Amino acid sequence: MDIIKVENLSFDYITRDEDGNIIEQSTALKNVNLTVPEGQFLAILGHNGCGKSTLAKHFNAILTPTAGKVTVLGMDTSNEDLLLDIRKNVGMVFQNPDNQLVATIVEEDVAFAPENLGIEPKEIRTRVDEALKQVDMYEFREHAPHQLSGGQKQRVAIAGIIAMQPRCIVMDEPTAMLDPKGRREVMKTIKRLNREQGITVILITHYMDEAAQADRVVVMDKGSVLMDDLPRKIFARADELRKVGLDVPQVTELCCMLREKGVKISKEIIFEGECAEAITKLPLKRKSAGLVKEPISTHNTEESAEIAKLENLTYKYSIGTPFEKTAVDNVNLTVAKGEFVGIIGHTGSGKSTLIQHLNGLIKPTGGVVLIDGRDIWDKSVNIRDVRFKVGIVFQYSEHQLFEETVAKDIAYGPRNMGLSEEEIVESVKNAAESMGITHLLGKSPFELSGGQQRRVALAGVLAMNPEVLILDEPAAGLDPKGRDKILGMIKQYHEKSGKTILLVSHSMEDIVKFAEKVLVMNKGKLFCYDRTDKVFERTDELVSIGLDVPQVTRLSHRLAELGINIGNDIYTTERAVMRILTLI
Amino acid sequence: MIKDITIGQYFPGNSPIHKMDSRVKLLLDILYLVILFTTQSFTGLVAGLLFMVICYLIARINLIMILKSVKPIMPLMLFTAILNLLFIKGETPLFSWWIISIYPEGIRTSLFMLVRILALIVGMSLLTYTTSPIMLTDAIERLLNPLKKIHFPVHELSMMMTIALRFIPTLIEETDKIMSAQKARGAEMDTGSIFKRAKSLIPILIPLFVSAFKRANELATAMECRCYHGGEGRTRLRQLKTAPRDYIAIVIMLMLFAGIIVMNFFPIIP
Repeated sequence: MDIIKVENLSFDYITRDEDGNIIEQSTALKNVNLTVPEGQFLAILGHNGCGKSTLAKHFNAILTPTAGKVTVLGMDTSNEDLLLDIRKNVGMVFQNPDNQLVATIVEEDVAFAPENLGIEPKEIRTRVDEALKQVDMYEFREHAPHQLSGGQKQRVAIAGIIAMQPRCIVMDEPTAMLDPKGRREVMKTIKRLNREQGITVILITHYMDEAAQADRVVVMDKGSVLMDDLPRKIFARADELRKVGLDVPQVTELCCMLREKGVKISKEIIFEGECAEAITKLPLKRKSAGLVKEPISTHNTEESAEIAKLENLTYKYSIGTPFEKTAVDNVNLTVAKGEFVGIIGHTGSGKSTLIQHLNGLIKPTGGVVLIDGRDIWDKSVNIRDVRFKVGIVFQYSEHQLFEETVAKDIAYGPRNMGLSEEEIVESVKNAAESMGITHLLGKSPFELSGGQQRRVALAGVLAMNPEVLILDEPAAGLDPKGRDKILGMIKQYHEKSGKTILLVSHSMEDIVKFAEKVLVMNKGKLFCYDRTDKVFERTDELVSIGLDVPQVTRLSHRLAELGINIGNDIYTTERAVMRILTLI
Repeated sequence: MIKDITIGQYFPGNSPIHKMDSRVKLLLDILYLVILFTTQSFTGLVAGLLFMVICYLIARINLIMILKSVKPIMPLMLFTAILNLLFIKGETPLFSWWIISIYPEGIRTSLFMLVRILALIVGMSLLTYTTSPIMLTDAIERLLNPLKKIHFPVHELSMMMTIALRFIPTLIEETDKIMSAQKARGAEMDTGSIFKRAKSLIPILIPLFVSAFKRANELATAMECRCYHGGEGRTRLRQLKTAPRDYIAIVIMLMLFAGIIVMNFFPIIP
């Protein structure tokens, strides 16, 4: 039985003026054909703006086709009389968990859909309890949504859909705004619903490792279906995927690279387990790799002066109440001028609190913050000057934009600094150049794409020309292409300006690509702070404190279990390839 | 800071007061406010306050919560008390200095007002502490139901209230974040003239509005996905049912009302 059948679907976004004349028309979907059988776990991939969200909204009649036909369990979505029957059977979960919860209490929220369907109160009670148990949120049933973590909220949103007892759930980037732990929780839930309850799942995602877990992957580009196949067959076409702004799992990339070197290994490999197995089957000469390292270029940091220093920094919340909590616990840290430092740690490890101390947004409850050798809370120091010297770009920084034009928005910081008009124009120009947005200066920030807005916000901080630039998850929620673009620009800026950069990220893949030093926070304490390669020599310990390590690192651990040693310092695909080649 | 305010919070529990029909609870709370305004004597006020303290004990809500809910209103209370102290004139001043003279009547009235506001807040807080916002809006919806006949949008109103309550904490958090972000760009919010301060709010308010509209848009779609189609044919997870405990509560409240009226004539404390 087919749950969803899409035939020759086309969809245009049409903007009309007050008289109903068309002022703008853009094609979002072109001639899409797709059939989803019941019980399937389908992943849809594609860069931002490829039409995948528009397609998803056709599955439950939020949008209806401009041309072509969409049927859900045989019901035509254009038929308005069938609206509730369609939506009852195909539920939808969105990206932002906050914007889909209606009620102030978890169980009341889960009850929302059954209430709308006019179901008997007793039956609602059973459905709500059942749904909450299925997503492991039963014990939180009386909590308020704002007391929950992102992953928990998203699971409540899923429960709210399950309570309708749908045959299919469509998820539009449900993990994009979550931390690695939240992502794992949500993926576990999705898979369980699919395997145990037989619910059809359509997952739209930017994460290749999530798509790898699906039964089938559809790749979209420019409003059309580009590929439609098994995940391993799709990812084997790595070059084609990269052309449309996508990525492949690290082990797939590894196998491709090995093949280029003449190693006979399949490229249809997507999980570290099967990759490890395939490697053991290769004709290996030895079991232990020569632990050679590629030369690492690092600044000679010993000689440069220190720019920021934390001494015994401690921060406690709600002192003197039963809720007292130590967010940062006795941290000592020195950052030298011009360094690129990566900061990792899971949510609640204190990393966000830590960075806000560096520009005086938070006043420490103990210890000292020194910028350029001066205590920033000393009476002679103006805290605003500290903020101009240490710029912070927060997570989802595009939310801070407010001016009529991009240029004016970027000028906000420099203007607050009291610069002259010429200096402001100059600094806006330079900042826009380094973020590649010069062509957008005259536009309104609100008509830009999410990735562009993010770069405008970044430029707004760069324009103040800070000595230290702190970035909190600058690539969060972007697609692989947008992610590489923004991180590439940050790297370029670092090389050109020689300014100090602190990059907070959940993604070790990003950190290892750019950072010279890495700081790991765990439970408010500094877990370690050292050169990148030194820190990543301790991958076992990083795993033990619950951090998400790159897939190739997991591969090296798996190989070790199988008796093959390629070293405990594997964190890039290149290094893994190099080590494996020494085995052969 | 903003997060410490406890007014409007709900503490789940299983006490008889939690379990009361929220319609009855709402009406009785309104009656309690009426009582506070009809009482003329300290005796009545103190009796009302004592009654609430007993209710807090029954509802197993920590009495410290009372202090917490009073804290944000403190400036207003003190302001009222000082005004009364300064402007209520009696016959013989207790104390006179320059243009200020304080009369015993002034002291009495300002104390009376203080206790009355305290009793008011304590009473209203009990309602929100023991009733989930959904139950409360539900109660309002049911109580206003007769107005549907004159095409008053009762369901829409209560839905809006629910959503507002749901998003207050989210928007507070968001305001905090935007403020930090603008401060990091050198915004000054607590210095300068009133005009300058008002102007410095623009970089906070505009992003806040933009995000609120975006949220509203996404929420509307999410609600549609969950088959929302207005109040027609909607059932509720929790049914509002009156039980014997509600009638007992009504009787107790009426007795308190009667007692307080009597105390107006025969005050124990003058």
